[in-house]
Amino acid sequence: MLITGIRSKPVYAPLQPDLGGRYHLMVGHGVGAAPLARLLADLTQAAPEALARTRVWYVAEVSAPQNPLEVFRSAQVAQLRTFGEVEALLSDLTAAMTQALMGSRLYVAGPESFMGLVMRIAHQFNLNKDEVRAEECGSLARRVHCIHCRATIENVRSNIVQCGCGRWLVVRDHYSRRLAAYMGVMVDAESPGERPEIKEVFL
Amino acid sequence: MSHADTIPVRVVAVEQVTPQIKRFTLAPIAGGQLPAFSGGSHIIVVMRGAQRVFRNPYSLMSSPNELDSYQVSVLRVEASRGGSQFMHEQVRVGSELEIAHPVNLFALEKLARKHLLLAGGIGITPFMAQLHDLRLTDVPYELHYATRSPEHGAYCELISQAEPRRSRLYHDSAGKFMDIEGLLSQQLLGTHVYVCGPAGMITRVLDTARALGWPDSHVHYEKFSAPPTGDAFDVYLAKSAVAVHVLPDQSLLEAIEAAGVDAPYLCRGGVCGFCRAEVVAVDGELVHNDHFLSAEEKASGKFIMPCVSRARCSKLVLNL
Repeated sequence: MLITGIRSKPVYAPLQPDLGGRYHLMVGHGVGAAPLARLLADLTQAAPEALARTRVWYVAEVSAPQNPLEVFRSAQVAQLRTFGEVEALLSDLTAAMTQALMGSRLYVAGPESFMGLVMRIAHQFNLNKDEVRAEECGSLARRVHCIHCRATIENVRSNIVQCGCGRWLVVRDHYSRRLAAYMGVMVDAESPGERPEIKEVFL
Repeated sequence: MSHADTIPVRVVAVEQVTPQIKRFTLAPIAGGQLPAFSGGSHIIVVMRGAQRVFRNPYSLMSSPNELDSYQVSVLRVEASRGGSQFMHEQVRVGSELEIAHPVNLFALEKLARKHLLLAGGIGITPFMAQLHDLRLTDVPYELHYATRSPEHGAYCELISQAEPRRSRLYHDSAGKFMDIEGLLSQQLLGTHVYVCGPAGMITRVLDTARALGWPDSHVHYEKFSAPPTGDAFDVYLAKSAVAVHVLPDQSLLEAIEAAGVDAPYLCRGGVCGFCRAEVVAVDGELVHNDHFLSAEEKASGKFIMPCVSRARCSKLVLNL
């Protein structure tokens, strides 16, 4: 199946502070709190003066194991904001990027779909790998783009998923940074009704 | 290896632009059009002097949309090894020269959200061609151009007329200097900076950008070093089994070519890395003058860029 071994699948790495940067913006969602807390501790240790040029934006999740805000507060960053929804953070992020100066660094931590949506904004502003660092944690559930009807399906955990247009799609590793989604391609176009077993793979 | 199929050209115009800068217009002898290029490209001009062949890189400054001829500007260097002197003294309308195909080592970044162009002196030339490309895009850009005086500033009038709002000129003679830190500290995300000018200016831009947190990938520079002179030394080319003597005012690459060995090169200015040669043995020290090898590579003593670097030794053995 056309599902793995495709190089467009994003690769993320554990977050580390980039001391070459001048302004630091850290954004996280849910379980992304843990990597952000670790990142803040590292930054505090390495360059405490940088905290005055550091902002932390966080989308809390009801199911989060503990309240990470205390950790963020104790780091005494220039700005700490919490959001109720990912959408609100993303729209403020776009506005902030329009104002941000060269020398800024963006750090992202959270589940797969959050990473993709933040990275899409970063790419719109021509930020490259030297300016964005991202660590994936939590759910690997994917945003899937139906290449036939062009709808986006959120939170896909299975290898095969049915789109709103009725087609059954195989979820590929082929990733679009522009759409922040994996490509879903009709699985039984050649032999209608013949579909592989559906398995939960993106957990 | 030879990539250097040259194009015979004739000089169709020569203009004295400033007391030290001449502009040459080169048209193909065979007629027709010259190869297409993008702003920031340079060519190698081959000058066949009585004693020696000179091959110097010059940025193309004419419009990439006009290919009937190319234009280059040549600064007469005080301590010239011969190339710029040859262009200023020997080359006139009707002279025939050869040029290599254009190569771009100073290209505009296509995805940039803004271009900040910083020029010093003769470093204006690649930007002259890039301005033609930039006028066709919607991407914002600014040109800042510093010269010693209005008299020494090539094309100042042309630039202020064509780009009244997007250019700013600075003349040392008027006490006006470019505020590099002020410029670099106020640029929005997605900006790329390009600098071409004297070595000191390039170093200041690179250092300031780094201190302000600019990633290297957003900072572009072009500095063609003329090959520095030094003591004579002997070289043995192991693969070709040829012994070469390098004269004090000759570059290692020129000596290798004069010995009849066809060594690779592209920029001849220590920038592109194409001529990198492996050092087999040296009984002295390498004198690295390039901008290509990393500090570690230079320290390792394993590589040398023959276009600008030389050695203080009695014998250097290269795997060429």
